[in-house]
Amino acid sequence: MSSEIAISTHGLTKDFGGGNGLFDLDLEIEAGEVFGFLGPNGAGKSTTMRLLLDLIGPTRGSANLLGLDSRADSLAVRRRVGFLPGDFQLYPKLTGEEVLDYLADLRGGVDAAVRDALADRFRAELDRPIAELSTGNRQKVGLIQAFMHEPELLILDEPIAGLDPLVQQSFHSLLREVTDAGRTVFLSSHTLSEVERVADRVAILRSGRLMVVDSLSNLRSIAVQRLEVGFAGDVPATAAIEALPGVREARRHGSHMDVSFAGSADPLVKALAAYDVSSLRSHEDDLEEIFLSYYRGGEER
Amino acid sequence: MSVPTFVLAVRLRFVSAVLAAAGMILVLLMVGALFPAVGGSIGKLDLPKGVAELLGGADYSSLTGWFRSEIGAVYGPLVIGATAITAAAGSTAGEEEEGILGLVLAHPLERSQLVLAKAAAVAVGVLIVAAGTWIGLVAGVAVAGGGIALADLTALSVHLAFFGFMVGALALALAAGTGRKTVAISVASAYAILGFLVNGFAPLVGGIEWLKYLSPFYYYESNDPIANGIDGADLAVLLAAALVLTAVAAILIRRRDLRG
Ligand SMILES: Nc1ncnc2c1ncn2[C@@H]1O[C@H](COP(=O)(O)OP(=O)(O)OP(=O)(O)O)[C@@H](O)[C@H]1O
Ligand SMILES: [Mg+2]
Repeated sequence: MSSEIAISTHGLTKDFGGGNGLFDLDLEIEAGEVFGFLGPNGAGKSTTMRLLLDLIGPTRGSANLLGLDSRADSLAVRRRVGFLPGDFQLYPKLTGEEVLDYLADLRGGVDAAVRDALADRFRAELDRPIAELSTGNRQKVGLIQAFMHEPELLILDEPIAGLDPLVQQSFHSLLREVTDAGRTVFLSSHTLSEVERVADRVAILRSGRLMVVDSLSNLRSIAVQRLEVGFAGDVPATAAIEALPGVREARRHGSHMDVSFAGSADPLVKALAAYDVSSLRSHEDDLEEIFLSYYRGGEER
Repeated sequence: MSVPTFVLAVRLRFVSAVLAAAGMILVLLMVGALFPAVGGSIGKLDLPKGVAELLGGADYSSLTGWFRSEIGAVYGPLVIGATAITAAAGSTAGEEEEGILGLVLAHPLERSQLVLAKAAAVAVGVLIVAAGTWIGLVAGVAVAGGGIALADLTALSVHLAFFGFMVGALALALAAGTGRKTVAISVASAYAILGFLVNGFAPLVGGIEWLKYLSPFYYYESNDPIANGIDGADLAVLLAAALVLTAVAAILIRRRDLRG
């Protein structure tokens, strides 16, 4: 099962002109994995997914999903795939229930038990008109429709956007169940932290070009992390901290110090243990920094 | 055709179509009630021929002329045309631009099947308004004291419906081809208005008289259905145009990039 390919793209390109779009994407996603698709705004994540669903056509190149061509066999692809668009709307006057009824009808019906279980799990408000729902509650309806026919492959464009932490957790557990069953998830996000708990592998896209594809553990070991340390008493010398293995930079601001380091946090933690540390805060990884450090790491090896 | 899409599309526009039909009934009742007092006293307006033509002859002295001018010439096609054009453009390009179709078309549903379902729903909306027109005509004529054959009132309503099918299908083809609601609405409306003017004035100008054959109004009213009954050939032209335009819509949307 794990050697089967769920998605493969070959020189997939969508040229919107002016350097915008997606260029020469070659990607292979294995069946049964959760694959994170990262990139800043305008990187081409949504474009890629819309190409896979045949909502837009490629300028050149091709894509294969579940052994089917994304263009020629689009109908068969769409039957077996669940898709959450990044920026979608639903009929505002209909309730969530009515929207799901319609979308289920388009698939010739779905298992009501599966659908109800999803609604319970997300605590979705399905009896209210879409127009009255908050962003997160609308997103839940989007998630339910993507999962309700138990597709072999899920393509989710920024699925976590707008969800509160509790719902994010039920979403993550859902992803685990899905992949335990051998199904595949391809999901996009802006930040590594959003996918690190669920993704097996990650690709980073920038300006329409694929920069990095790697396992999450590899990426993690190379990625630069930033730590903000507060001290109650003495503050260590920045030079001493920068001399520690893995530490790239240390900057002092009064009783605080910003430290960026790659790889294991152990040497840093051991060194800090000698001081009275009053607070620790870790910062969001900057994608730009991640692949810069990825290449730096590559050169050093 | 996608049946769930058809059912939903009818449902989403049902209330507004029924309201338009109810408005039509009310207006026709008023028009009927006004005839005994106003119609006779205006008589036949002495207008330049083209203008009179635009107003359906502007002969207010007979009940038939009264209804022809008040409803047949302008108000009826305006309401039916607006209903058809907004429904056709809104349910296709409108939903596309709003970002609804990007989700719907990620389901196993051919785009052309979606467009055909929307077209059928537009036709239902048009039929609802045309039925309202028919009820209003029958009631309005009764209020005015009677005098127009039921068959002729039916003929006007049927011609009106076919006019709606044709302009609605034009808006559908434009919307499906471009994915732009405002383009579809404005071009289809401009065509209808130009058609209205051309049908009135072209026959008066030597050399361009043939232009009237491009106008939907020519097939809708030149054989005067409220006086002469149904004209099968006229209806056939409108229906054929509607069917061809619907087919064009279903083809144009197939390989295009979806917007939004
Ligand atoms: N229909 C379009 N016409 C022209 N340019 C487009 C179109 N759609 C997308 N683009 C451009 O293509 C690039 C990629 O857009 P895309 O929406 O795929 O980015 P993204 O990675 O999903 O970004 P975000 O994180 O903001 O959602 C952007 O520069 C965008 O402006
Ligand atoms: Mg996006």
